Amino acid sequence: MSGNFAGTSLPPSAAAPYMGETYYGRPAVKASPFDWKVSSYIFVGGLAGSAQILATLGDLAGGPQAGGMTRTGRWIAVGGSAVGGVLLIADLHTPDRWYNMLRIYRSTSPMSIGTYILSGFAGFSAIALGADLLGMKRVAKAAQVPAAVAGAGMSVYTAALLSATSTPLWAAEPRLLGVRFAASSMAAAASALSVVEQAGQRQDTARTLDRVALAACAVEMAAGLQADRAYRRKGVADALEKPELRALDKVGALAMGAAIPILCHGLNQVVRKPSRTLSVLGSLAALAGGLALRHAILKGGNESAGIPENYFRLTRPEPPDRQPPRVASTGERERIAHHGERPYTPAATRVATSLER
Amino acid sequence: MGVPARALDYADSFLPGVIPQEAELTAGVRIEPGKSYGFFTDTTLCIGCKACEVACKEWNALPADDLGLKGTSYDNTGSLSANTWRHVAFVEKISGDEGTRVTEMQPFQSNWLMMSDVCKHCHNAPCLEACPTGALFRTEFDTVVVQPDICNGCGYCVPACPFGVVDLSPDDGKAHKCTLCYDRLKGGLEPACAKSCPTDSIQFGEVPDLVERAKARVVDLHAKGARNAYLYGAPDTPGATGGLGHLNAFFLLTDRPEVYNLPTAPTRAANRVEPALTAGLVTMAGLALTAAAVFALAKAGPTGPGRNGEIR
Repeated sequence: MSGNFAGTSLPPSAAAPYMGETYYGRPAVKASPFDWKVSSYIFVGGLAGSAQILATLGDLAGGPQAGGMTRTGRWIAVGGSAVGGVLLIADLHTPDRWYNMLRIYRSTSPMSIGTYILSGFAGFSAIALGADLLGMKRVAKAAQVPAAVAGAGMSVYTAALLSATSTPLWAAEPRLLGVRFAASSMAAAASALSVVEQAGQRQDTARTLDRVALAACAVEMAAGLQADRAYRRKGVADALEKPELRALDKVGALAMGAAIPILCHGLNQVVRKPSRTLSVLGSLAALAGGLALRHAILKGGNESAGIPENYFRLTRPEPPDRQPPRVASTGERERIAHHGERPYTPAATRVATSLER
Repeated sequence: MGVPARALDYADSFLPGVIPQEAELTAGVRIEPGKSYGFFTDTTLCIGCKACEVACKEWNALPADDLGLKGTSYDNTGSLSANTWRHVAFVEKISGDEGTRVTEMQPFQSNWLMMSDVCKHCHNAPCLEACPTGALFRTEFDTVVVQPDICNGCGYCVPACPFGVVDLSPDDGKAHKCTLCYDRLKGGLEPACAKSCPTDSIQFGEVPDLVERAKARVVDLHAKGARNAYLYGAPDTPGATGGLGHLNAFFLLTDRPEVYNLPTAPTRAANRVEPALTAGLVTMAGLALTAAAVFALAKAGPTGPGRNGEIR
């Protein structure tokens, strides 16, 4: 097999299929310094953004019975952008220079794009809520539309932020990550609003919102399962197979974030008298699942950056489907983690040992 | 070879000051703004002396990292980091396919690969493209530099780099990496690592000149029997892939890139902004339409206003 680099004929040693060679198993790329504050922001930002969309849609299409939901949605939007901003600044390693984010605009940097999405979203959301509270209905109606548009950006730009890196797990499937974050944000917002409506004894709006959550969770489930397959096929799923992340990803993101809400809300849609308990249970599960999804993706990405085989599989010139089966197993990685660096052995020897095992 | 003509002007042991355009004497190149400068690192010439690592640390006043032994051949540096901007990799090919000691040597190369790794100063640099503050910028010498007085330590450049070069310093909370000796270039001096390299494994110069020199070197090595020599990061070679353009700091390697901890076909991170955003926004639009329809149906349907008496 020869590499496809115009104007160069690669020597066979460089063009052969990738068989798991690494430099002492050392990471080939650096993991992001992002921690739980960033994954929490991704969740809170998505929740706030989608809540603003639902509030605006409720105001425009939902009629008078959606008024309470609209007010709640506007509160979540303002509260979410405030909490989100604090989380983001706290995650900087030189936080007192946070305003340098506003020095420039860079269209290649989702973090720069996001700075302005968050600023616009927070501003318009504050105007919409303030005007609403002061009884200035027309101002609130005018401000909510740009706020909702920015809210769509809030729900999804974080997927672009993670995808536009060299971290194997994040870079492998940009489109699916966008779909998952969008669906999860909408599901979380509908769920949060539904819980508040249930608490306020407004079962009808809660039921309407549960339908929205049902649709969003279905999209999330489909995209999640597809992403799972794609990560395996591309050989970047090693990090997600570690026990603690596996639980977060499967039990948290997939079961709680999608399967349980679909079950609860689906059941409630077909029975004659919907159960409040089921509705609240489904909503809380969706909220917890949304947070688990962001934590699993963030932690999984940081872990995957430390697994050079994952990065090298993703950066082969040939399509990932035509690559030979992967060599280093998770078990092998664990061993390296426990016994320090492994001495260099040529690929062929390593294949033999991994086959023996 | 030979002595550069201007060298005779500075024959004294003690000079009154810095020689203007000293790089002309040490690297045969004038350093002028607007031109593209870089490194050609020929790993077949590397003897693993780590003079580049030391020279870099000294000139840039970088603190020591971890002084322990790593047990990975003579590589006790490990990787490039906030405080290490040159890193010499050592790959000992001490055992053959059956675990036996290799007895034959490749022509013009021992069974020991050594490579001085450095920031690649990519043509389309993902770190620069990711930086939301403008702390990372492209200099007049076509190199990529972090301004520590602007950086707010967001750390987004760290995962953006396809080669694992940029790093946040825990000491000052800012990102750091090789500057290709920006300050020295301003003063007409060759970068410290290249100047200190005793075998000219690290060559500094204008990128187009270096590429030509490197291509000639590959032809030369092939003619001498070292058929596994190839360029990494020069235009249209491995490393210069996925929209990165060429790498201003490129390499001559003799084994597959992964052996040196380099990806064969890295990609530009910014390529993935549009797909993720578009897919996400299309999903949002679909779900918003669904929600609007559900709300409208609820308003018009039998469970319309008033059933629970909550009209505001």
